[in-house]
Amino acid sequence: MKSIRKIDAIPKLNGSWKFLDDYSYEGMIHGQLLYSTCHHGFIRKVTFPEGYDLSEFTMVYAEDILGENIVPEPVCDQPYMADKEVFHFGQVIMGIAHPNRKLLREFISNTSIEYKELPAITDIKECLENEDNVFGRKLTIDHRTGKKPDPNWVHHHKIYYTPHQEQAYLEPQGMIAIWQPKDKIMFVRANCQCPFFVKEGVEAIMGNKIKEAVIETSEGIGGAFGGKEDFPSLLAGITSLLSYKSGKPVKIVLDRSDDIQITTKRHPARIEINSWTDPETKKIMKINIDYRLDTGAYQTLSPVVLARGVLHAISGYSIPSAFIRGRLFRSNTPSNGAFRGFGAPQGFAAMEAHIDKIAVDLKMNPYEFRKINIFKIGDEFPTTQPIIENNLSDCLERVIEKSDYLNKLKEFKEWNKSHKDKKGIGISIGYHGGGYTGNGEKILNSEVKVVIEKDAIVKIYVSNTDMGQGAHTTLAQMFFEAIDHPLEKCRVQLPNTSKTPNSGPTVASRTIYIIGNLLRKFALKIKDEFGFENLENFVTSNQNKFPHEFRMKFVQDPSVVFDDENYVGVAYKDYSWAACVTEIYFHADTYQIELTKSCSVMDIGKVVNQKIATGQAEGGILQGLAYGLCEFFYKPGYGRMHGFTDYALPTTMDIPEIDVEFIHTDSLIAKGLGEIPMDFPAPSIRNAFYNATGVFIDEYPLVPERILRNLNVNKHC
Amino acid sequence: MNINFTLNKKSVTIDVDPMKRLLDILREDFRLLGTKESCGEGECGACTVLLDGKPVTSCLVNAVHIDGKEVMTSEGIAKEPIGKLLIDCFDETNAVQCGFCFPGFLVTSYHYVKTDGEKNLNKIKKALSGNICRCTGYQKIFESVMLACERKPLMNANER
Ligand code: FES
Ligand code: FES
Repeated sequence: MKSIRKIDAIPKLNGSWKFLDDYSYEGMIHGQLLYSTCHHGFIRKVTFPEGYDLSEFTMVYAEDILGENIVPEPVCDQPYMADKEVFHFGQVIMGIAHPNRKLLREFISNTSIEYKELPAITDIKECLENEDNVFGRKLTIDHRTGKKPDPNWVHHHKIYYTPHQEQAYLEPQGMIAIWQPKDKIMFVRANCQCPFFVKEGVEAIMGNKIKEAVIETSEGIGGAFGGKEDFPSLLAGITSLLSYKSGKPVKIVLDRSDDIQITTKRHPARIEINSWTDPETKKIMKINIDYRLDTGAYQTLSPVVLARGVLHAISGYSIPSAFIRGRLFRSNTPSNGAFRGFGAPQGFAAMEAHIDKIAVDLKMNPYEFRKINIFKIGDEFPTTQPIIENNLSDCLERVIEKSDYLNKLKEFKEWNKSHKDKKGIGISIGYHGGGYTGNGEKILNSEVKVVIEKDAIVKIYVSNTDMGQGAHTTLAQMFFEAIDHPLEKCRVQLPNTSKTPNSGPTVASRTIYIIGNLLRKFALKIKDEFGFENLENFVTSNQNKFPHEFRMKFVQDPSVVFDDENYVGVAYKDYSWAACVTEIYFHADTYQIELTKSCSVMDIGKVVNQKIATGQAEGGILQGLAYGLCEFFYKPGYGRMHGFTDYALPTTMDIPEIDVEFIHTDSLIAKGLGEIPMDFPAPSIRNAFYNATGVFIDEYPLVPERILRNLNVNKHC
Repeated sequence: MNINFTLNKKSVTIDVDPMKRLLDILREDFRLLGTKESCGEGECGACTVLLDGKPVTSCLVNAVHIDGKEVMTSEGIAKEPIGKLLIDCFDETNAVQCGFCFPGFLVTSYHYVKTDGEKNLNKIKKALSGNICRCTGYQKIFESVMLACERKPLMNANER
């Protein structure tokens, strides 16, 4: 729990830590993407502006691709560049490079493309309501008992919508490619989460024209949150092609408006729930969940998001008969992709609201109702995975106590009687399975490398990147704490695919949970093998043994057995759990919700670095709250957002007091932390609003316009 | 056009397109890479510098606007006593995550601590409201600036 300081904080503050755009190379030119402004259509003609010397430009089209025009993804269906037909706004048509960045920008903004337009779906509801748009992977979790609902059980049927969410990492995406013809190596400096994905992306587009792609990340990666998981493969591919064709180093840094308009977002969802509750025992007895995601134009990694989505869709309740169906729906928008939470926040958005609806209809307070239905030891997930701990329930109990929920519930009710403005308080819970789903970690087969130098410096080689989560500090800490080595002698090296083994991508809350725990074991194993008490002394007296390289692979626990076909078994070995209580103040004149306090209790197992973990949690919780309160990317009648001017991010003035507490920290294992803070907080706002006003809103975010609409509908009913 | 201005306390002259953005002048002509571009439209504060002592977003300031003025970037502030104090507080609380927004926060916080410095959460929130951070949830940034306000009176009078 030692809060050692981050290794990169000072250089980030004084400006010496290099982000992608801070690198430059001899002879480097600048690249930019030319993309479709049509949602669906045939490309008729590209017209360049007059007055430019075209011979100064390097241009690449789909036909210049040397390998295959398909980006490697879980489902390989997205081309790097459109050939004749475009399927969404933002689809890349060309890469163009020129020595002068400003001139290149002007040239591209004055280039026009003519299309023969075809019908397109850009509206979220139009996409998700129409069964004709279903495509790709379908999943079901079937845990039905076969019993018919008892006629006394109370039936609830509701449809919930969630919007896109933009990752809004502060550093836009960027890539530098340097073709080295002598060695036939394409060197790429990447601002990405997954260097080995980028390597595959570059090798796929370059085909056998190169021997190898070598990817090294920039020192700084200015936030990612999932947004730099798969898009970098496409960007690196096109940048490499430009470098190959021009023979020069090429840098592409997207400006904000390009970044926001063409990269991946959180999938909008439509979740329909039918539930039956026994009014006597107050137990939910049966549930059907229809979980739909708008994927955009291609599947890419949506099937994996869908998997996590259905696996978390029931929230933390034990329901004897459950049927969950997940499907993908196609639209003409850029492919949606990874974003912290990865399908889980959508499910919690629906189920956590649904729980409050049932509770209120049964005239119970939402805490009491949750308490009856929440996972307990002996219950099971719909996949039949047994629940082996009461930690979710412990999170709930602790947050109820520390937020003084029950007293505030009464107090606010009283206060509201005599005020036009309203106060409200809401609960939500959540959890997140650590690491890849099911057999994923087995297939990944992650490996880490450690080199101990003659001066007892320990160099750790992992392909997991530090994009702000403090991973490189925490990973080093897990290693040196295990063997009591001085912290300044232990460093994680900058990921480089030619030096670093593949320890997998920086996703799925797996960096500390899988790689960190592996490094801790690894440190103890090295200690055991050499039989030292103090590594420094041992190295000094055994100089002939050093430098020494060690490698170790991750071995999945044998209890993780999962049937990928039928979705039965243990989907994740360890879960992080959380519960939250949020208080709001509703301004009746402006229809605005002000968040006044948000209190969260989380079980992430052992906390390696208290301050880093708290900071991570606070940041994620704010993203989660903003998902419920103010962020949306598409508005009917307006279209999609263009930058930070129309995409509303929370500022210092919009945020409540955020209180975070970790429990069960005496655990031996550090569990996933990256995503769970995003999963659970948003529904607490909707529930607090329902508590304050009695108006139930089935759609995010709770912006004043939507509130006004719902209040009006309520009045008319 | 020739522009003369003071950059981090040194007087400099450059021959530049009068419409060139201050952000690009700093990054390209002076290789001062601490000033970052994130939104390019004045919304995020990642490019904040001090212009005649006041925080401005350098993506919206053009060369003509700085002629004869004083510009201070995060690099310059990092060498000032209050800048050093703030850096130490941000470091101590482990506030820095990806760090892309931080040079901007350093500049704005410096302005607040230097010109006001009251340990008052609401005032600090207001002072920092032009800077966006997507990683931290702002809590540890507030904590750091509060800490700096608390420690400022302990500095030598000529350093405050
Ligand atoms: S880059 Fe200047 S305010 Fe965002
Ligand atoms: S630390 Fe990443 S945006 Fe602030």
